[in-house]
Amino acid sequence: MTGPIIRENAIPGGDVALAAGPPNAAERYRAKTPWTRLRLHPAGPVGIMFCGLLAGCILAALLAPQHFFFLADANLKLLLRAVPNFGIIAIGVGLLLIAGEYDLSVGAVYVVTPFAMASAYSHGVPLPLAIGLALALAVVIGLANGFITLGFGIPSFITTLGMLFIVRTSAPFIVGYARSVGFQPPASFKDAVVGSLGPIPAQFVWFIALAAVAYVLLNRHFLGNHFFAVGGDANAARFTGINVFRTKLLAFVLCSVFATIAGMFSVTRLATAMTNPQLFIELYAIAICVIGGLALTGGRGSVIGIVLGAGVLQLVQDVIILARLPGFYLDMFVGLMIVLGVVINQVVRRKY
Amino acid sequence: MANATLASRTAPQDRDALPLFEARNISKSYGHVNALMDVSFEVRHNEVVGLLGDNGAGKSTLIKALSGVVTPDSGEFLRKGQRVNIDSRRKSEAAGIQVIYQDIALVRSMSIMRNIYAGREPTGPLGFLKMGEMRRTAMLILDDYVRIAGITSPDLMVEDLSGGQAQAVAIARAVHFKRDILLLDEPTSALSVRETEKVLAIMRELAESGVSCVFVTHNIYHAFQVCDRFVVMAHGRAVMSVAKADTSLNELTDLIMRH
Repeated sequence: MTGPIIRENAIPGGDVALAAGPPNAAERYRAKTPWTRLRLHPAGPVGIMFCGLLAGCILAALLAPQHFFFLADANLKLLLRAVPNFGIIAIGVGLLLIAGEYDLSVGAVYVVTPFAMASAYSHGVPLPLAIGLALALAVVIGLANGFITLGFGIPSFITTLGMLFIVRTSAPFIVGYARSVGFQPPASFKDAVVGSLGPIPAQFVWFIALAAVAYVLLNRHFLGNHFFAVGGDANAARFTGINVFRTKLLAFVLCSVFATIAGMFSVTRLATAMTNPQLFIELYAIAICVIGGLALTGGRGSVIGIVLGAGVLQLVQDVIILARLPGFYLDMFVGLMIVLGVVINQVVRRKY
Repeated sequence: MANATLASRTAPQDRDALPLFEARNISKSYGHVNALMDVSFEVRHNEVVGLLGDNGAGKSTLIKALSGVVTPDSGEFLRKGQRVNIDSRRKSEAAGIQVIYQDIALVRSMSIMRNIYAGREPTGPLGFLKMGEMRRTAMLILDDYVRIAGITSPDLMVEDLSGGQAQAVAIARAVHFKRDILLLDEPTSALSVRETEKVLAIMRELAESGVSCVFVTHNIYHAFQVCDRFVVMAHGRAVMSVAKADTSLNELTDLIMRH
């Protein structure tokens, strides 16, 4: 931190000069260059990375339109449809991460709760009720995660790892032994959820809307302040009168609910719900958060970072597909980014 | 029961004679360690009480019990003679208590502004933050109480502040939200001489304006400078309560050393 000059032991009369007021002092804080401020923003590094990648892709597509179909209409639509999938889960995971806890069970929640919705709907339950059922299941799982973790003082990593397996394998008890079930909601519902708004796929619009809700919650609502506080320093938060238990519990529930919403989008798009697990969803969600500049230790991060992190991940996947590279390159990239992301965050913080 | 005797002893007209706040027979142990043993402690109106004692005497535990973040194993609290239940920070705040903790209790990864209002955010309908108000008043709060060099913006992260600056923020926060009791646990440990003098002066001003202070310190000279009364603790017990007029610097030093 070089910006504000810290003078701990003010010389006599030193604070008289400061009495001139905050404006003069605030100026000093602003005197940092925009570039420094961008790098210091929690979403700064990922923003730079995203813009670089995007620029690179566009440039490559313009230079070699015959070989690199990045700017093709179909490819862009595919991208915009793919980003919300992990992106919505990552928003929930990110909120919880900021509140200082993990949730690995999202991978199972993402699969099982929408399956319950599709299954109920196929058995004649009205659609709003079926959606309500899936959300209620999500709330119950979130509460269970929270109560066990916070009540017994267990690391949430362990609780939710267990919950991941429990929820994944409990699908037959909840929804029977079917491997898959069709989901054919009314066309109006389907249009609203996964249709398109002009040229933009509807689920991308929903993704941005959900991100906006999360942004407002984190930055403009008192609950957001509590999330940052309990994640940053649970003891200090408790000392200021914040109810740590209730705050974290809410974050667990929100995380589960976001995973369910993401699953519902996916099921609606595919018109089918399947119980076979999609592996590593929870890890991709955490990876997006880390790439997006959230601290795994809690208390730091931004929704913008998560959105850009989801964008970076999909861009890389897209490049790998367009360049016809083997799929495991994506996992390799994700692995590298998790480690690099943490290192970059650490270095940036040390240096400034 | 002590409670009953007290109730019968005090007619409504001499309510002012009752201590502002009282802790009775507080005990707290951690495993085999008895941090507090049968400690009774009172805070009277318009006074600064010095809570003295060596390391491990139980001063900080007592402060944490009074502020609700540590729940005693036994004992009771009374505010103006009325029993109050203090088992969370919220309850102690409702009982009029504000605290400056020894370990500062700021969230380092949050801005000064967000720290000042943590747990007591000014909100509009639906719980949305009044950002404008927060931003406007945060700087004024800092300027009003302990003005400290180098704090230039309410958006500075606490982790970017020096120890003294962070302590100033914690002090300003507690003083701003004070009601009638302010507990200060080693509030000047990271402050310069000038800033320390300022904090001592604030305590005197507060006491005169009706906010009683409990001042925990190792520095007996500071204590002697501002306190009206001293309570000496040793090994988890309150061994002595004495008014300033009835003691001297030497006697106090001797007392603390002896126990």
